[in-house]
Amino acid sequence: MKVSNLLGKAKGSALLLLGTASVVVSMDANAIPVFARQTGFKCVACHVGGMYPQLTSLGRMFKLTGYTMGNRPNLTDLEVQNDYPPVAVMVQGARQYYNNTSTQGLPGHGQGVPSSSMNVQVVSFFAGGKITDNVGAFMQWTGQKYDNTQTGSQAGWNAAAIDNTEFRYADRTVTPTTDTVVGAYVNNRATMSDVWNNMGPWQSGWINYFNSGNAQAPTTFLMGETTQHTAVGAGAYIFQNKTWYGELAVYKSPTHGPLSALTAGAPPSNAAAGSNGTVIDPTPYLRLAYNKEWGPHNFEFGLHGMMAYAHGSGLLGSTGPSDYSQPVSTYRDVGFDSQYQYVLDPHYFSAHARITREYMNNAGPGVFANYSNLTPVNATDNLTETYVDAIYVYQAKYGAQLSYQNVTGSNDVGLYSMAVNGAGGLTGNPNWSAWTPHVFYAPWQNVRIGYMYTFYTQMGGVTSGNNNLVFNGTKFSPANFNTSMLYIGFVY
Amino acid sequence: MKNIKTILTLSAMSLALGACSTGLDKSRNLGNPNVTGNTLAQQVCSVCHGGIGNDVNGNSVNPRYPKLAGQQKEYLVAEMNEFHNHTRKDPMAQAMMWGIARNFTPKQIDELANFYSNQKPIPDSGQKAALVAEGDKIFHEGVLDKGVPACMGCHGANAEGNGPIPRLASQHADYIYKQLSVFNTDEVYTEGKENVPDSDLERPQGAVMEGIAHGLTEQQRRAMGAYLSSLH
Ligand code: HEC
Ligand code: HEC
Repeated sequence: MKVSNLLGKAKGSALLLLGTASVVVSMDANAIPVFARQTGFKCVACHVGGMYPQLTSLGRMFKLTGYTMGNRPNLTDLEVQNDYPPVAVMVQGARQYYNNTSTQGLPGHGQGVPSSSMNVQVVSFFAGGKITDNVGAFMQWTGQKYDNTQTGSQAGWNAAAIDNTEFRYADRTVTPTTDTVVGAYVNNRATMSDVWNNMGPWQSGWINYFNSGNAQAPTTFLMGETTQHTAVGAGAYIFQNKTWYGELAVYKSPTHGPLSALTAGAPPSNAAAGSNGTVIDPTPYLRLAYNKEWGPHNFEFGLHGMMAYAHGSGLLGSTGPSDYSQPVSTYRDVGFDSQYQYVLDPHYFSAHARITREYMNNAGPGVFANYSNLTPVNATDNLTETYVDAIYVYQAKYGAQLSYQNVTGSNDVGLYSMAVNGAGGLTGNPNWSAWTPHVFYAPWQNVRIGYMYTFYTQMGGVTSGNNNLVFNGTKFSPANFNTSMLYIGFVY
Repeated sequence: MKNIKTILTLSAMSLALGACSTGLDKSRNLGNPNVTGNTLAQQVCSVCHGGIGNDVNGNSVNPRYPKLAGQQKEYLVAEMNEFHNHTRKDPMAQAMMWGIARNFTPKQIDELANFYSNQKPIPDSGQKAALVAEGDKIFHEGVLDKGVPACMGCHGANAEGNGPIPRLASQHADYIYKQLSVFNTDEVYTEGKENVPDSDLERPQGAVMEGIAHGLTEQQRRAMGAYLSSLH
């Protein structure tokens, strides 16, 4: 390649990324965020009932072919074929309502987040899309007003950090009898590559929801927030005849070098902000799936798994994040996931079910070190996580959703600090479950107004109400964690 | 400052990745006039208009997307131009085909139309017999008291179409139903008005279909879909 071409590409890439300022230029009323501008599609083409981030079969193919369908700025000649800037912004304003008047001393939300006023809580910038005929990117940068992890404090906007970010290379070969997509990616979160909305970042609870139960409701290592954006993974996949899908990746926390850009701003590099980021040694991630389309229906059934090696936090009394000098605990997560969709305007329906089982091997001997600055008492622990949801959208305008989450696992008083009233001492029971009904309305395709309510029916293994849970001497019931949120989301 | 460094690093990574790229024959670039119609059919159109197993043959799986296989070439050319020029503007055309056709060149349109008109259409199965019989009757006889002529008069004895008149045989029932509803919407809009500009209509080239669709009841439109989708 000629040097001038290279320079052209460099300039083009910089334009691609720094074009944020040009977002103010007038745009086609149809085209909202990055990929819509690139393809000229409306949201309903790729998202079920326009309800991002739920992908239709087209949306899946768009992602699996590396975000490369459509127009792009012509980087080689700097002759721009796509006069729409490849950037977008998302703003979420919300008001939370907490039921936890008696949770003084309990780490979690509802203390730092005021439940009194509607305010702007999350701002994300997106960039990316088609770079060449085979390479595309999805980049997100998010700032939020409150801390979404477990401290319950106001994070302040200074915690802005890189969010889900991915580069993909894909090649699709179509013959009269076969259709094969092979691809590779580099990204900063395991499960980000998911195209069936069964996993952490893309399942329907994706909206930023500063829920007062988060801190006390454990999740598996794979789906949890602690590994978000602190590791970089490289993976490869194949999608054969729109039927068989296989994927293998390896994640690791980068210490330096260009790949560490993918974790910029994320813990532990911003450990000062109090987040408990996690460093991991090379960790394989695997996904296999069967996909079937017939008429307006689409069905998927798959397996997922990750074998994570996470370093512990600075031990006992230290508040530092996990670091390389600490011993390594193992988290083996395996599970099933399934999706059903019906997409035929004006009716859109999708449902998901996932069960993930986690086997923890806590580092020892002697003191067991956990990645989140806790010291488990057992050498091994386990957790089983269940997630089920169903969504119906009418005319891409009116939607309703119900989701259910349940976690059960072995007791460990070092990890789970709830006690049962009258029983004396901690029980260390991780079990919890919650229902979340959610209704929303999209007057325009880029504005969504919604209301969701999370009912906790079990917390710390306790199902009945009546102040049966004890934490730090304060009594409460699972319902005290109930949270609801009124939000308005806007993308441009 | 740190953010700028990150952005520059990410830019450099985009650049490095950008260097590896295969040729135009597998491109999904809708803005490059050098990509051929056949390549676009395989890499782009097949995602919606294709079918599993024989993925480029224009027999879509989801009825949201019309079948293109065996469609009249002249009609395909006309529709692609209409999407490109934004004259066909029913909601689904706007949601998807406007973007697809944004930078079509006449050469690409010709190649695409050639490609799809030469594919073999495959009918759907599982229609209700009563609906099929009702559609069969209307197709051959029309609905005289409503002023609806026999469809076969224009669309051909086997609904194979003719030049600018589309093939309807094997087309998805839901798509037939929806297009009849689009023509009906235009008729309702036009009724009692004079000199309605084409730009107000969702399918301005479908003037002959407006009155026909309006003469059919909801159920009869469903029946036409059931019958036509079963035809070879
Ligand atoms: C994102 C999905 C999608 C892709 C990709 C797509 N189309 Fe379409 N196409 C549609 C939809 C939806 C309609 C129906 C529009 C309507 O209802 O008015 C349609 C309609 C058409 C029609 C009109 C058919 C008729 O019977 O009137 C033609 C022709 C067509 N597409 C050609 C193409 C070509 C050629 C390509 C590839 C360059 C392509 N389409 C790619 C979604 C798609
Ligand atoms: C007078 C001639 C004529 C008759 C009779 C006629 N059609 Fe049509 N039809 C057309 C033409 C011309 C078009 C193309 C319109 C356009 O280009 O937008 C068309 C388009 C259609 C379409 C849209 C197809 C597509 O791929 O988008 C459907 C569906 C249809 N006709 C159904 C019928 C049915 C059902 C009948 C009988 C009840 C019928 N037509 C009778 C001329 C006719």
